[in-house]
Amino acid sequence: MSIVLAGHGLIKKYGSTTALAGVDVEVAARDSLAIMGPSGSGKSTLLHTLAGIIRPDDGQVLLRGERIDRLGENKLSALRRKRFGFVFQFGQLLPELPAEENVALPLMLEGVPRGQAVARARRWFAPLGLDGLEKRRPGQLSGGQAQRVAIARALVIEPDVVFADEPTGALDQHTSEEVVRLLTSVTREQGAALVMVTHDADVAAHCGRILQVRDGRISSHSQYTVA
Amino acid sequence: MRSPVLPLTWHLARSAGRRGLQSRLLAAGAAAVGAFVLLVMVAACLGSGARADRTAWRVPDAAPARAATAVQATTTTYVRHKPVTVVSLAQLPDRGPTPAPPGLSAFPRRGEVYLSPALAELVRELPARQLADRFPRPASYGTVGAAGLASPDELVAVIGRAPGDPAVSASAGSLGWYDEGQTARAGITGFAGDKPSLFTGADQQTALLGAVLLVVPVVVLAAAAGRLGAARREQRLAALRLAGATPRQILAMTAAEAAAVGAAGALAGALAYGALLPVLAEIPYGVGSWYTGELWVGLPWLAAVVLGVTVLLTVSAVTMLRRVAASPLGVAQQADPRRTRVIRLVLFAAALVYILQNTEGQLSNRRLIVLLALFYGVFWLFGPWVVDRLGRVAGRFARRPATLLAARRLSDDPRAAWRTVSGLVLAGFVAGFFSVTQLDIGFPEHPDQVAVVSQDAADARHTAAEARTLLDRAGVEARVGTVDDDDFSGSVLLGNAGVVARVSGGPAQIDTAITALTPAANGRLPVSQDYVSAPDATVTDRIATVSAATLILSFLVATASAGLTAAANVLDRRRVYGLLRLAGTPLKVLDRARVRETVLPLVVLAGGTTAMGVFGAYQLNKAAGATVDSSGALQLAVCVTAGALAMLAAIGASRPLLRRVTTNPAQTAD
Repeated sequence: MSIVLAGHGLIKKYGSTTALAGVDVEVAARDSLAIMGPSGSGKSTLLHTLAGIIRPDDGQVLLRGERIDRLGENKLSALRRKRFGFVFQFGQLLPELPAEENVALPLMLEGVPRGQAVARARRWFAPLGLDGLEKRRPGQLSGGQAQRVAIARALVIEPDVVFADEPTGALDQHTSEEVVRLLTSVTREQGAALVMVTHDADVAAHCGRILQVRDGRISSHSQYTVA
Repeated sequence: MRSPVLPLTWHLARSAGRRGLQSRLLAAGAAAVGAFVLLVMVAACLGSGARADRTAWRVPDAAPARAATAVQATTTTYVRHKPVTVVSLAQLPDRGPTPAPPGLSAFPRRGEVYLSPALAELVRELPARQLADRFPRPASYGTVGAAGLASPDELVAVIGRAPGDPAVSASAGSLGWYDEGQTARAGITGFAGDKPSLFTGADQQTALLGAVLLVVPVVVLAAAAGRLGAARREQRLAALRLAGATPRQILAMTAAEAAAVGAAGALAGALAYGALLPVLAEIPYGVGSWYTGELWVGLPWLAAVVLGVTVLLTVSAVTMLRRVAASPLGVAQQADPRRTRVIRLVLFAAALVYILQNTEGQLSNRRLIVLLALFYGVFWLFGPWVVDRLGRVAGRFARRPATLLAARRLSDDPRAAWRTVSGLVLAGFVAGFFSVTQLDIGFPEHPDQVAVVSQDAADARHTAAEARTLLDRAGVEARVGTVDDDDFSGSVLLGNAGVVARVSGGPAQIDTAITALTPAANGRLPVSQDYVSAPDATVTDRIATVSAATLILSFLVATASAGLTAAANVLDRRRVYGLLRLAGTPLKVLDRARVRETVLPLVVLAGGTTAMGVFGAYQLNKAAGATVDSSGALQLAVCVTAGALAMLAAIGASRPLLRRVTTNPAQTAD
């Protein structure tokens, strides 16, 4: 199984607080990894470091074998745009754009003509159970629908890795279940890796592996066989 | 039980940190600027009215011949193109005493000459043959005090004459329209007239016109200041609601904080106005600079402006919060676009038709102001409708992400987008309006002529011989001739018989010629082009001054409100901007979207209002029978360019803020 993303010996400090104290992690294509841990354990820092949002003080981040932690800000930004997809807890959709244009936006940013971008975006609506909601604006969608639109936006560029930061944090249990099932299955079908931060064990259970982080270190590493 | 609102508001305000302080300082600063500009506008209107009143004594307040105790003959002469008001007074024999005119301690006796301080200085500076010899030469001059003057710069002479002196004789009186507002003679009993002089009469109405045009940009600025910190208030709303506060308490807290910030800012603006009064008084308008007291608006006005700005800011802040309170997820998650209805277009069209129908013929200034206020009002309704349609059209054809984002933003909340540009759009109307309101009535120009009015052709021939001698003696090189009373365009006499000297040389020679010909003028003073042009030139000059001041202030205020709104928008949307950037959206795309969101409506609407301003002024010129002066086109181009650049700079000023709020929004130890 080919490793898509790897972090080796990652260290990150904020003043006297050590957020990451030498973490090693690898994710393969179609793999899904849940990062769990108590507040302040460093789980979000780990996700942001792997996604090239935060630079580690020490250690390396490799995407398909190439170091990305030393890239300049512009290259990192382009990398995040072209090869990573992101799903956040809430508030990531532009409120004034209809759902289909929110999904098409990353393609348009890459220079895909608007008509083609919207057409490609629409293809994601049926598989994600969003049929008929293309013209709705985020304010007219339920929390679960909005998260599915966000998943479509993360996947529309066919990324290598999808990063999800508490993607179900603002949803009820039933909707969480539905959203995370879609997120893990569609990501796998696309051949992308998934790295997800969550505090919810039920959500994490949908992932192939679970990393428990405590005080900036990996305290345990569980592996499941996801159906 | 004591209400917890005020203590909690105070506590939260104190603990809001540096960013909270910054936004409050900005809001207070905007309130200060708004209050300052409003106070200056009120001061200009009240002050110009007050000083017009102070010139009313110079226009003879005619009394019945039997009752008159004195004769007053007022005329105007010019030196270096500046008007000098000359008031000749003669006490009639066997009549009761006449009170002292304002600025003098007693009625002037025969041979006494009183000069205003500015005229006295000029008399000292210039050779006597250019100015002083136009008046009697006493051993020493008296001084016209401030009570008789509209401005410290005014040039006024009060001369005591004998009742039989030609300067107070019937021949020194008005010749009708030719002397309108500049020369008049009558028997009087005092100085209680209420007709202001030609040189101050139009000041108040013109200042009022500028004030009306400035009110909207100032209101927009205060409203923009009220919006600052809206995002922080949303967060506070959520947190306090969770903690059990009622919506009414939240609104009360918001109102208390906004009122405190607004009042502090408005008070600072009022203090700045008070402190800068001596500086403001130095700014010339019309007849010159001001006496400081003329610009003091008084405590009731001061309190009204401070209160008005505070209320505006508070209402704006509460209105923003009400929208958030109605939809707990806030503005960023609003469900429906705020559509505008076609009734706005209908109202605008109806008002425009009404305005066009009512600009036919001569317009009084009061009516003009009412029509302008109406135009502003309906444009305020119409603007968001245009922005909405513009957003929809641009959204349909947008190819780039930045344009699409901008277009969707416009149609999503057209009122907010309109607020951002409204100041400059309405300033565009001012620019357009004043660019052609340089009234040019089109009378013939004879800047080299100095003329003396005669009773008839025979008298003119006799006076011409005397004039040649006088000019020769004064060393003035001139061609002297006579004109008949049927010559309306060949001389500055415009249809009066008399003698005309065509003088070689500049203003100094013209002034020497006027002075030299004074003895030949039979009690009147010789006239020059300045005398003929004065009625129109005075209005043109006032409009030019007000237009320049209004334009500069409009653009400054509009730019400030655009900058504030842009900063408020960044703060309101910092989460979505931050997450988009985190996902790799280039900052320049977000920034371009912000700029286009402003530029698109600005180009369309400011272009439209500028054209309407030009058209409105053209109508006004037509109504006044004046030709359009196209030299204003350059001023218009400069204004529009400067305004647009200033607006872009104001938006650009919030770019570092955008960068800061979108940099690693989730950087925590977790």
